[in-house]
Amino acid sequence: MGGGREVPISLEGLRDKNLMQLKKLNTALFPVRYNDKYYADALSSADFTKLAYYGDICVGSIACRLEKKEAGAVRVYIMTLGVLAPYRGLGIGTRLLNHVLELCSKQNISETYLHVQTNNEDAINFYKKFGFEITDTIKNYYTNITPPDCYVVTKYITQSKK
Amino acid sequence: MGASLPPKEANLFKLIVGLTLNCMDRKTEAYELVRQGLKNDLKSHVCWHVYGLLYRSDREYREAIKCYRNALRIDPENIEILRDLSLLQAQMRDLAGFVETRQKLLSLKPNHRMNWIGFSVAHHLNSNASKAVEILEAYEGTLEDDYPPDNEQECGFLERALEELHKKEFKIVDKLVYKEQEVSLLVKLGRLEEAEKLYQALLSMNPDNYRYYEGLQKCVGLYSENDQFSADEIDQLEALYKSLGQQQKYYEGLQKCVGLYSENDQFSADEIDQLEALYKSLGQQQKWSSAVKRIPLDFLQGNRFREAAENYIRPLLTKGVPSLFSDLSPLYDHPGKADILEQLILELEHSLRTTGQYPGRTEKEPPSTLMWALFLLAQHYDRRGQYDISLSKIDEAIEHTPTVIDLYSVKSRILKHAGDLAAAAALADEARCMDLADRYINSDCVKRMLQADQVALAEKTAVLFTKEGEQHNNLHDMQCMYELASGESYFRQGDLGRALKKFLSVEKHYADITEDQFDFHSYCLRKMTLRTYVEMLRFQDHEDDEMSKLPPSQKKKMRQKQRKAEARAKKEAEEKHEESSVGAASKSGKRHVKPVDPDPNGEKLLQVEDPLLEATKYLKLLQKNSPNSLETHLLSFELNMRKQRILLAFQALKQLLRLDAEHPDSHRSLIKFFHKVGSMAAPVTDTEKLIWSVLEAERPTISQLHEKSLIEGNRTFLEQHKGHSQPLPNVQYENLNICSIVMTPPHPTLLFFFLLADSLMHRAAVAEMLYVLEPDKKPEAIKLIEESTNNIVPKNGALGPVREWKLKDCIAVHKFLGTVLVDNEAALRWKVRCAEYFPFSTYFEGSLSSAVPNSAYNRICKRSENGSANHSGGETGDSLASNGKLETFKDLTI
Repeated sequence: MGGGREVPISLEGLRDKNLMQLKKLNTALFPVRYNDKYYADALSSADFTKLAYYGDICVGSIACRLEKKEAGAVRVYIMTLGVLAPYRGLGIGTRLLNHVLELCSKQNISETYLHVQTNNEDAINFYKKFGFEITDTIKNYYTNITPPDCYVVTKYITQSKK
Repeated sequence: MGASLPPKEANLFKLIVGLTLNCMDRKTEAYELVRQGLKNDLKSHVCWHVYGLLYRSDREYREAIKCYRNALRIDPENIEILRDLSLLQAQMRDLAGFVETRQKLLSLKPNHRMNWIGFSVAHHLNSNASKAVEILEAYEGTLEDDYPPDNEQECGFLERALEELHKKEFKIVDKLVYKEQEVSLLVKLGRLEEAEKLYQALLSMNPDNYRYYEGLQKCVGLYSENDQFSADEIDQLEALYKSLGQQQKYYEGLQKCVGLYSENDQFSADEIDQLEALYKSLGQQQKWSSAVKRIPLDFLQGNRFREAAENYIRPLLTKGVPSLFSDLSPLYDHPGKADILEQLILELEHSLRTTGQYPGRTEKEPPSTLMWALFLLAQHYDRRGQYDISLSKIDEAIEHTPTVIDLYSVKSRILKHAGDLAAAAALADEARCMDLADRYINSDCVKRMLQADQVALAEKTAVLFTKEGEQHNNLHDMQCMYELASGESYFRQGDLGRALKKFLSVEKHYADITEDQFDFHSYCLRKMTLRTYVEMLRFQDHEDDEMSKLPPSQKKKMRQKQRKAEARAKKEAEEKHEESSVGAASKSGKRHVKPVDPDPNGEKLLQVEDPLLEATKYLKLLQKNSPNSLETHLLSFELNMRKQRILLAFQALKQLLRLDAEHPDSHRSLIKFFHKVGSMAAPVTDTEKLIWSVLEAERPTISQLHEKSLIEGNRTFLEQHKGHSQPLPNVQYENLNICSIVMTPPHPTLLFFFLLADSLMHRAAVAEMLYVLEPDKKPEAIKLIEESTNNIVPKNGALGPVREWKLKDCIAVHKFLGTVLVDNEAALRWKVRCAEYFPFSTYFEGSLSSAVPNSAYNRICKRSENGSANHSGGETGDSLASNGKLETFKDLTI
């Protein structure tokens, strides 16, 4: 058994046929059920929502929503990003986030943001590594957990010349 | 219309109209016209030909052949008709006729290659291979074909076949088959050394072909049907497979290919580096052939087995091979191996769980390896009937990686085995939803739904994978035999009409498959795919054997018909009653009540005049196709008993005793038969007297009854099959009044063997017969059953006991207590007891089954209901979403 046991990681798009995979991931990762709008948004975000495969096994996902800003501009809201516990520390989360960021810069989308609970330092540090900054605080964003406040964490990508 | 035409033309016109009508599905008119045509001109070969075509299109081949023959009598050299006739003869396997017709065709048109080939094939099929070869040789010049060798091999001219094969090597295009033929000839000729070399060569072409390994073992004299070897042989085999595993030849060839080969292993430093890298990568792949590593597991024992199994399993768990368990499962029939496997996998699991590595390794395994180990363990415990452990393992695997579909499919299977069919169907549906594009998972789900008697749902699900449009026809056209499962479900639900309908369509599938050959008789000769053609014809002939797969359906059908017959008999009896009281009017009225709709529910099918006669038809099929199946004769027995055909029933009984005299059903039949015979009135007619004398002469030949009364016979049977009781012969059953006689068992050795066999079903049979023979002994019969003990199978496994009783048997016993002995209290006691043993069984309403609130399955349902409440949350959903995300990041170590 040599060191050649590197299991390839690949990203695949979300489709009707594998939607259940995302649902299973979310059930395992997050303590809530997402509504239909979440899945509709994810499906219509096209390449901005991806499932991550460890070999043949689906182990993580990033799900985004494209939001219209004034003057026809678009920004990306990261709804969820998560990797199954046993498969963390293998760079899969980084791979997923990088994918979205690269896509943003390719499509000249200047703003990517998300919400993070104010005490979640690991997550905040994780996003800071990718150039995200805390841009706002929303009081009482959450109803049933403490602290109830969240940060808005945003990354602005400087527009490449049009 | 035809009046204005001259008679001959008018006739032809009629024929054309007839053929057209036939195509338009107006069969009766078509036949009518053609018959008229014949009446007008009996000497017209065209008329006869068309008549034959009509029959052919109706699949009345015998009639069609007759018509063609008539046509040929008038016009003996008509090529068209001869060709049509030859096709029919091939279809009907009228081989002599086929040869004759082919000869005729050849003599008429010797310049057609197809006629030569056709004649040769005809001879070949008619097992006159030497003739076939002669014909081909006569036509050799232009022949470029790999046909002859196969041919000669069959006729026993082995030497010559081999010679011919070598001679034609350059002409034969299919090199692989050439080699396979050659090796098989060499083996038959006893030239084993050459054969061995050739097998080695074949293995280098395909190292995963199990047949080559088998052949090789035969060549070196190390072969055994059931893998029974002496210690010495095992050593030799192990060495053989070790050497095969390191096949020098591959490596040599590979080195040549990459330009790194030298006779004497002289390499430059650079080359050595490259070679090292090459072999490193080869070593990592570690899978030149899985066969070469798998096969030794069959013959190795004890520690050597353990070691080999571990080496085999480890990389496959790492890689994640979902089929690993089914690959290993034959080993569970070898004594002791299941225990070894259990310990082995448990150790792997433990090590992976605590260190993330295999024992004795420093390298981390992928996270998925633990999940696959749990997956394997779940299937292992399922196989051993330890469903609680099995389910806890699979649940753990699902928690570890909830996105792997196989986990849900296996969980579904476990639940099915554990007796919770509804939960199994729900799980299978969950698996299905995870990949809507996978037909296999869809089919699996349909199967589970049918097993849970959710027929409507199952049909809806199955239809998802049919083409748009006429979905149900489409489902039928796929010939996937789905009707078998759906018919069984209807049967369980007591909907005999629909069940019968489904079963009949399975039968139709088989007819259609036989029918489909027809297209090939001309096509294959034209395309020269002769080997495949002959293979196909032979396969079709064996299909009858294959049909032993079908019998379950037909058996059910018959059983169903019998049941129906019973119901009918009852009804008739009732009707007779009514007749006497109310008069004939009510009787006919009752008959008319039955709806006469176009029969979507198979109701018409149920109104067969004589269901027993229908059943006899299917019984004949069964007797022809699976004469060695116990069930065939069991059905034959039941059917003939119902038809009062004493001698036929007796014949079936003798077959049963021949096949398996120790089977509970054989015993039941034996007692029932003689009990019935004993209760019949004394013979009056000559036939009756004849039957009587036959039975009288035969009875002493039945060793089970030698001089014994039925009651004694029944008791002997019990003693022989009483689970783990002490050896006989002097056991007293204080509970049985009948045990006044002490029996010496007829075959002490046999007896010992059966002492170890499962005895619940034998007890049940004895109890049932006790009740049949002496209805007042019902309490004893019940007691006999209730005294059975569910013993623990001895094993060294680490977890939980494995018990002997099978769920299926316990359900049968429960039904027997409730419906035959009609003792509801006993049935209830039995149910409570079995609910303990089978907590997942819905039938016994076990505490963990979906029949009970708060079972595992119902918890799943509840959870998803809770979830859906959140769905409606609209805006809050988003904020909750972020909430959830936070949770992940807490754990996300970067």
